[in-house]
Amino acid sequence: MKKIVILLLAVAMLVPALFATGKKEEKAVKVDANAPVTIEFWHAMSGTRIDLIQGIVDQFMKENPNITVKVQYTGSYNDTLNKVKSAVKAGNAPQVFQSYDVGTLGLIYSDIITPVDDAAKKFNLPIKWSDFFTPVQSYYKYQGKHYSMPFNSSTPLIYYNKTFFKKAGLDPENPPKTYADIRKAAVALQKAGIKTPITWNLHSWYFEQMICLQDAPFVNNDNGRGKELPTKALFNGEAGKKVLDWWVGMEKDGLFLDVGPGWSNHRAAFVSGEVAMVMSSSSDVNLLTKGLKEKGWEMGTGYIPRPAGAKGGVAIGGGSLWMTNTGTPEQQLAALKLIEYISSDGPQIKWHKGTGYFPVRKTAMDKLKAQGWFKENPNYLTAFNQLLDSPESLNTAGALLGVFPQARSIIQSAIQECYAGKPVQQALDESAAKVDAAMAEWNKVIKQ
Amino acid sequence: MKQSTFKGDVLPYILLLPTFLILVVFLFYPALETFRLSLFTVHPYTGAERFAGLYNFKNIFSNSDYIHSFGISFIFTLAVVILGLIFSMMIALLLNEQIKGMKYYRSFLIWPYALSPAIAGALFNFLFNPANGVICYFTGYRTWLTQGTTAFFIIIMAAVWKNLGYNIVFYLTALRNVPRSALEAAAIDGAGPVRRFFSITFAYLSPTTFFLLVMNTTYAYFSSFGLIDVLTEGGPARSTNILIYQLYRDFFVNSKTGYAAAESLVLFLLVVGITVLQFQTTEKKVHYQ
Repeated sequence: MKKIVILLLAVAMLVPALFATGKKEEKAVKVDANAPVTIEFWHAMSGTRIDLIQGIVDQFMKENPNITVKVQYTGSYNDTLNKVKSAVKAGNAPQVFQSYDVGTLGLIYSDIITPVDDAAKKFNLPIKWSDFFTPVQSYYKYQGKHYSMPFNSSTPLIYYNKTFFKKAGLDPENPPKTYADIRKAAVALQKAGIKTPITWNLHSWYFEQMICLQDAPFVNNDNGRGKELPTKALFNGEAGKKVLDWWVGMEKDGLFLDVGPGWSNHRAAFVSGEVAMVMSSSSDVNLLTKGLKEKGWEMGTGYIPRPAGAKGGVAIGGGSLWMTNTGTPEQQLAALKLIEYISSDGPQIKWHKGTGYFPVRKTAMDKLKAQGWFKENPNYLTAFNQLLDSPESLNTAGALLGVFPQARSIIQSAIQECYAGKPVQQALDESAAKVDAAMAEWNKVIKQ
Repeated sequence: MKQSTFKGDVLPYILLLPTFLILVVFLFYPALETFRLSLFTVHPYTGAERFAGLYNFKNIFSNSDYIHSFGISFIFTLAVVILGLIFSMMIALLLNEQIKGMKYYRSFLIWPYALSPAIAGALFNFLFNPANGVICYFTGYRTWLTQGTTAFFIIIMAAVWKNLGYNIVFYLTALRNVPRSALEAAAIDGAGPVRRFFSITFAYLSPTTFFLLVMNTTYAYFSSFGLIDVLTEGGPARSTNILIYQLYRDFFVNSKTGYAAAESLVLFLLVVGITVLQFQTTEKKVHYQ
């Protein structure tokens, strides 16, 4: 009898403890799902993509007649993020906004967003994450929780001019895969009369990806995904040095055309036939295919190069859709429905065909295959295969750091210093020290 | 000449009120707020503030990249002001001649001022960008913007060109006030054109030159951001990363509000300091009528 009493007492003591931990989880709430509601959606996709997104949202509103979505293009990713921040302070934030990959850790700690998984639980609208490609959903997953909805995903690709490859006696169906292969192809193309055969824009993204390809981390604490915030840059290790030795080496030997920063010069150089190979985002496949076709040239695509024997893979880039923690429960539910809809098969297929960003769900991919889309457009498949060939690890999930935009400009300056003659290791070490300082500062401020 | 005055005390203040309101809302309040924020560290998303004393300033001045920006901003301003004034004065002198079609020449030469810095940047990009710039094509030299020295030179050129129109308008007006009789008298006394220019014309232009000196200094320090953003993004390797561009990046890209506020206070004090210095030294040599 005594034992039972003690047992009961023990259980009685445990119960509040259980509830205490349970309190942190969002409980399912009841909202009127059919009440008329208006939400705002801010995105950063310019040009023809504005209409494409509007079309997807129009379809969503047709299927959900009680929801009105005001869509607005709010400038670049960075502009959009700044506008969201000031809107939150002013109390008129959108319910949904698009942000870039490198803003992820900042937003997780921002106190202005609702994690998608939390909202899904709150409104009892589970999201089938197993439908998503692993690398896509694992990028936006932080310590077991999905924070944003994958939307526009891309990886870098090598694009090459098949016509020029033939002229130089290279196999147009077999793009170069390693650093040595690229260099060899560039030398052959140069002999065939192309002065500077290869280029890409000055962007740290390629450098980051080529570190992933060697399955090396970019920062410490599980590549920024661990329990503690990252404190130390690791990109100045062996992997980073290998990348820049090769990259800067080609520039010094006159094989690589330095076109500076921005996203137009390298495309222009490729489309005008100035260069025969270019590295760019997979979301450029539509644009570059058209550009080369106009000149009567054929275009091929290949995986981005790696040092021979490297075993890593690419991490995804691009953007995702975030929910702010503002608005009524009805608005939040509508926001959740909207981002769920945009990530579903129909809209993703439409988006893929219109841009070259790949669909984020396996089911959408299967439908595209069944349609025979890739037989007609094999270059749209390369980015997928490259992604699916990537092993899963913390390194290929992609690094997370709060000061990513700043780290990128530091790294880009370092690359230019190398062009101007600074030794690679020294430039990398100096920029790693700067990124360390920036991270220490950020880690302090973000907790205040 | 009798100056008209207002009767009563209230009316002038009421008439000044709209201007004053705009100044307070859009200039004084933001400026004071910036000065205040320079003493805080600010959360990049929520804006939560924590007092930090002179922490931001210590950070700024212990940053070698910032010191570098400080230096090149000074060289940049010096070059933009000197070249800008020389060229615009020369062009204004030419535009002051009486020849057929002068109206059109004037319009065309003043026109660049009507462009925004970003458009001016796009034009220079069209000439110099390494992939398909027109000048790169014709000279066969493509590293204008991807090599530190030339990139800096081109930014200076673009900034000077962009502001030529502004300077020319003022010089043209000033040239109208140079009395023909004085020039003719000097010519009769045997002064050559060079002597006539320096002894008479230049003296009459000195108040305008002084005014433009101050305005161009401010322009070079504060308004060249658009050009740099379009042409080089502060590169290659920070060689065109002048203070105002670094400030933009720190606030709008890196979200370091307190740090950026401190930078902007430093920049403000710097330009105020230079202007005061100009008033104290150069103005004594200015000849007002």
